[in-house]
Amino acid sequence: MWTRLLNTSYRCFGVRGSGGPKRIWSLHPRVNCSTLSLPSGRITALQAMDVWAKHFEEKGVIEPEQSSQFIIAHLLGAKTKECLERKRLTEFLSCEKTEQVWRLCTRRLSRMPVQYIIGEWDFRDLTLKLRPPVFIPRPETEELVELVLTDLQRESRAGVGSAAQESCVEVGCGSGAISLSLLKSLPRLKVFALDQSQDAVELTRENASRLGLQDRLQVSRVDVMKDADRVLSLCSSASALVSNPPYLFSEDLQSLEPEIYRFEDHAALDGGEDGLTVIKQILTLAPLILSNHGRVYLEVDPRHPPLIRQWAEENVEELRFVETRRDTSGRFVFINKEKTFHISNIVKEAY
Amino acid sequence: MFVSRGYRLCSSCSRLASCRAGRGREWRTVMQQSSLKVEHWGSLLPKRLSHCDLGDLYNSNAVQRYLQHLIEDYKVICKKLEHECLSESDRKALMKRQTELLPLGNVFTSIDQARQDLEEVISLLQNSAGSRDEDENLTQLLKEEEVQISNRILALRKDLIRTLVPCDPLDPSDVVLEVVSGRTTGGDICQQFTREMFDMYQGFACYKAWDFEVLNYAPAEYGGLHHAAIRIAGENVYRHLKHEGGTHRVQRIPEVGLSSRMQRIHTGTMTVIILPQPMEFDVHIDPKDLRVDTFRSRGAGGQSVNTTDSAVRVVHLPTGITAESQQTRSQLQNRETAMRMLRARLYQGIMGKETEQRHTARKQQVGTRSQSERIRTYNFSQDRVTDHRTGYSTRDIKEFMRGGEALEELISDLLEHSERDAVLERAENSLSVTRLDMVETHVTPTV
Repeated sequence: MWTRLLNTSYRCFGVRGSGGPKRIWSLHPRVNCSTLSLPSGRITALQAMDVWAKHFEEKGVIEPEQSSQFIIAHLLGAKTKECLERKRLTEFLSCEKTEQVWRLCTRRLSRMPVQYIIGEWDFRDLTLKLRPPVFIPRPETEELVELVLTDLQRESRAGVGSAAQESCVEVGCGSGAISLSLLKSLPRLKVFALDQSQDAVELTRENASRLGLQDRLQVSRVDVMKDADRVLSLCSSASALVSNPPYLFSEDLQSLEPEIYRFEDHAALDGGEDGLTVIKQILTLAPLILSNHGRVYLEVDPRHPPLIRQWAEENVEELRFVETRRDTSGRFVFINKEKTFHISNIVKEAY
Repeated sequence: MFVSRGYRLCSSCSRLASCRAGRGREWRTVMQQSSLKVEHWGSLLPKRLSHCDLGDLYNSNAVQRYLQHLIEDYKVICKKLEHECLSESDRKALMKRQTELLPLGNVFTSIDQARQDLEEVISLLQNSAGSRDEDENLTQLLKEEEVQISNRILALRKDLIRTLVPCDPLDPSDVVLEVVSGRTTGGDICQQFTREMFDMYQGFACYKAWDFEVLNYAPAEYGGLHHAAIRIAGENVYRHLKHEGGTHRVQRIPEVGLSSRMQRIHTGTMTVIILPQPMEFDVHIDPKDLRVDTFRSRGAGGQSVNTTDSAVRVVHLPTGITAESQQTRSQLQNRETAMRMLRARLYQGIMGKETEQRHTARKQQVGTRSQSERIRTYNFSQDRVTDHRTGYSTRDIKEFMRGGEALEELISDLLEHSERDAVLERAENSLSVTRLDMVETHVTPTV
């Protein structure tokens, strides 16, 4: 059937090419070899996916198939190719749609991340708006949220702090993924989200109001490294401090894929020489921000846990290390810290 | 097996017919006048075997005897609970049994009531027959009343039988439905048919206002479908779909190719698998038994990688059963979907054994996945769908495969059929058991 369709479309082109007044579909013999010229005839979504996947592959774009599928699915109003009905995939794209496909896919050739190209991505049960250079949430962080949620839910069930409204602080909120997920799942929680980037603060606000969660969220532009006093004046006696801080080692930044290196805010990635610069600052501030039983949840590099533990024991008296957890695929690590006054039953060390 | 069931049905039908003939006389001429109204539940019977009404079971000897026992049982228990001093445990046991029988008892009381009303009306009618000229209106009214009450009794009898239908605890569950293309020569026809079946169930879910969530969709060439898994959620989904599980056969002339030109009929198959979707606590899975494969497990992760590959595969190591999902852009959501599928598959494994035992015990094969025989044929060249378990046939295949009323009709027929069988089976088998039961309950408190 496919071939049949192709044949017809070629025939169509033949007719139109010779007699049609508007030659939108005629070949543009572009000299620039990195872009793909518009197709000569009408094509289906499936064919477009195929063509672009191949082209991406040739050009060394990573995840070629996923890229073309996600972009085209998005243009057809779906999240994934799998969500689209068979019929939609095998229908001819309109001229307009084809042009859109070509425009967006061409952007991918510059290695712009798919999430920025389509301007959104899913995080847990939320769909977030995303735009450069705000950090794109990673799947590991979905698990970090899971961990925090389980703890906070257990606490609220156990009645700890049930009288007062619980609050939570996020350092480096980016697109707002962590804060908004927590707010969505915990209807009584209040969150203070901080970020040093104006872009991030704006995006978090935008996502919050799109999801209708802005009432319990306070977003502030603060640099935790420089303006500790302001941080302390903004938030206090929080029951949790959550962060996915920049934790990459500066030397590793060079070897990142262009998607990250060229497009994402380095301030959200670069954790200094040992990747610990921001983490140390967060841990220093934590005792002042948290209530007595408060906890710190951090996503860090797999090499970090022993270093962080040692450093915290030597430098921040009020904190006591609780546990390290690996993510499901065994690659990543979350750390849990707690103020000393609280004796916890769940001391597990998973090294 | 089909033959024997068919035979049993026939015999019960004929039994019915004779019973009704007798009763008709007892109810005198009025019954015949109103036969138009009552017709739908009986007199059309033989045309389609499957169209036997559940209420007709009332006239089966076994069921009658079974009912009698249950009601006696109920009365005895009620009396005992009122009058006798019982130990706490005995009382509890009796109370439990009483609650089980309560709906039956209630319906039975209503029937008794209705029967008395009927007798009254009949005697009034007989009396008024003497005074001819005075009250033709009254007679008319009385006759109407008589018909009404008779109809009510019939409806109540149906209810009575319905209380006997053993309830399936899984009925309200959601399901994971899988359609799998068969592998015959000229697989195109199977794959094409599989896609049509997928569309049919999508249509049916829409018709029933159920949620239809595609978990997996593996298309084949030429618009066909190899395999798809769908999660269907809504009211009593499993109850309606449980009998869809099995091999469906298609007979049609292919649209293209040599056979098309020769007008040769091809036969293909596809299989529907229905997995009841249990609640989380029904299946315990030890996280240690799971391996979760994601893009991340293949390399570094975290901030140093940005991936759009959110596909997840979950492997249950002890059984080797896997499930995967790439339906959403969130890895976590995909993992949850995969887990749901895995849980359903594991559950099916556990339940498979149980149902098999239960079903061999009841000799009821309707709707199990293990049934290897085809359950339904879609004959496109004759424009007919036939369900082999009930013999139910319907025309207009196109309308049928839209998944609307026509499919629903066939499904309710199947349901009634299997419920019928279950009741009959129960009545026949448990008569002896009930007796034993009763002896026990009788004996313990009195001795």
